[in-house]
Amino acid sequence: MSAGLAHYLEVARTFQARGSANDPAWLKTLRAEGLRHFEARGLPTSRDEEWKYTPVSTLSAQPYQPARDVYAGEDVAAAVARLALPGPRLVFVDGRFVPALSVLTCLPRGVTLKPLSQALREDGELLEQTLGQRTRLGANAFTSLNAALLEEGALLTLAPRALSEVPVQLLFLARGGSGPVLASPRIVVVAGEGSEATLVEMYAGLGTEATFTNAVTEVSLGDNASLHHYKLQTEGDAALHLGGLYSRQGRDSRFQSHAFSFGGALARNEVHSLFAGEGGECLLNGLFVGRGTQHLDNRTDLDHAVPRCSSRELYKGVLDDRSRGTFHGRIRVREDAQKTDASQTNRNLLLSEGAQVDTRPQLEILADDVKCAHGTAVGRLDDAALFYLRSRGIPKQEAERMLTQAFASELVLAVPAGPVRARVEELLSAKLPGGARPEVTG
Amino acid sequence: MSLLSIQDLHARVGDKEILKGINLEVRPGEVHAIMGPNGSGKSTLASVLAGRETYTVTQGTVRFNGEDLLGLSPEARSQAGVFLAFQYPVEIPGVGNLHFLRTALNAKRRAKGEEELDAMDFMQLAKDKAKLVELDSAFMGRSVNEGFSGGEKKRNEIFQMAVLQPKLALLDETDSGLDIDALRIVAGGVNALRAPDRAMIVITHYQRLLDYIVPDHVHVMAAGRIVRSGGRELALELEEKGYSWLGGEGVGAGKAKEARR
Repeated sequence: MSAGLAHYLEVARTFQARGSANDPAWLKTLRAEGLRHFEARGLPTSRDEEWKYTPVSTLSAQPYQPARDVYAGEDVAAAVARLALPGPRLVFVDGRFVPALSVLTCLPRGVTLKPLSQALREDGELLEQTLGQRTRLGANAFTSLNAALLEEGALLTLAPRALSEVPVQLLFLARGGSGPVLASPRIVVVAGEGSEATLVEMYAGLGTEATFTNAVTEVSLGDNASLHHYKLQTEGDAALHLGGLYSRQGRDSRFQSHAFSFGGALARNEVHSLFAGEGGECLLNGLFVGRGTQHLDNRTDLDHAVPRCSSRELYKGVLDDRSRGTFHGRIRVREDAQKTDASQTNRNLLLSEGAQVDTRPQLEILADDVKCAHGTAVGRLDDAALFYLRSRGIPKQEAERMLTQAFASELVLAVPAGPVRARVEELLSAKLPGGARPEVTG
Repeated sequence: MSLLSIQDLHARVGDKEILKGINLEVRPGEVHAIMGPNGSGKSTLASVLAGRETYTVTQGTVRFNGEDLLGLSPEARSQAGVFLAFQYPVEIPGVGNLHFLRTALNAKRRAKGEEELDAMDFMQLAKDKAKLVELDSAFMGRSVNEGFSGGEKKRNEIFQMAVLQPKLALLDETDSGLDIDALRIVAGGVNALRAPDRAMIVITHYQRLLDYIVPDHVHVMAAGRIVRSGGRELALELEEKGYSWLGGEGVGAGKAKEARR
């Protein structure tokens, strides 16, 4: 057994041994099962097809430990002021819930939002049915580790036909403070029939300590429900970020997920989407922007298990310096899933000689009456466009920045105009080479 | 004194020599037409003057306002007052036309130590200049040249010229592919921008443009050299006789055009 695996097992065992006496039996079972799966799987290696391009040694480079105490210093308040949008929100620092900075006063009727620790006490019946529904079997090792350490996160429920027009936000700040810290948030969304909401998950870093965020989000959409999901990840240079989004869509439901992956030394973003009822629509968008020696992984797995569903997938990567990105997108169309309409596109822009991207589309189509399209591209900035801008007096660096921003803008503009898009524009602008000129064109 | 002084200019792309010794003097206020068959090097000359890096200058000098132009980056040339109206304006999806042009104008103003224009002032300026080439405001909100027709792209070039107010405008086959209405609008815009302190070099394949933009001087290029220069009557002579009198060397060099693309 590797030292890395032994460390995580030790962390999980200690956590489970300490567990509260009030924890219900099903929760203990869920955690024990997570630990068993994690141990059986072990840490991924580079021989593992799913992790082939990932520098897996990074995953156990530090002795990460869960944070013990809630921290809510001034730096946290300042970060919340900078990042938060108007509307209800839960704030977490190193995986611990910070009530003082959270806002729960403006929730619309039929919408409940609470930290998972509270929900585990109050909504046991619901969580027993929904927690792990999509992640128990066949999930990757880190999703299992998240289950083994499950105690905090968020529960968002929408009653049938409930409508939340303001975005519901979850802010996860990775800070550390006394050694490398591990946060394992679990987010559960249960959207009733015909309900509609927008959920924003923001992950940001505070300080320069080694942090590891291992987040799992489970989304269950009832018939004809609609959820817009945004993930904005801007953690620090020493951060390790793994995120798994698992969605299950009922009949005629609409799910959009927009993942903006800007931060972290190693960040991996997984989306596993399942159509469980006919007539569903799913949009999976992603923008990853790397520089320095960042490694940004993107893994999507879309399961067309039933007929007459449509999916659209667009991932774009912008990689500078010696950063590296991967896109691995699988679409499965099951035997019965006739009239499936699926498309997947991955385009990548390399800004330097040392940057690299690996792109792997994977289509497994077992039905015969389907429309499936996919395309990938890797390119550099267009010389003709660059000269055109420069010939009008725009300095080279600024011209390069404009073209890079233009490449990324398709995904920014896919976010409806409003506070979420504005925040994305701001974070992107700060991330792109050459200073902050916050203007994305429309 | 000349605004632009070109002496013995040679340039190549790869190992193919395209300009083989150009000499040209352009004074402020003058309009020069450069005509010639495909592949004679007309457009290459414009690109070399604007600083396109595809071309390597192997010999000769170019002075602009007394300064060495060839040592400057494309953006520095533009900021110094050189403007190239492209034969094939580039489509740039995702970059808004107005944002692009305001960035360009402000880069120029910064370079000259002037204050940048804010969005409101710029909008007013853009609206005024757009009238010159009958561009409506819908164009301005779109991405640079994206989905524009050929005529709209050329009008957009002249619009940019009107905003940037160059000292030397190089119009590279601005008339090609335009129907007569679009040509009138484009030529009208160009004529409105004629000024005592501004020179223009109008590169064209067709005499037709010169009915609308009347040049002071006409040059004929063939095989990388200016082979004849004269007044407006030279254009009329070309109209009558075509380029065949230039002989095989001039009309046979069509490959150079492909290399330039």
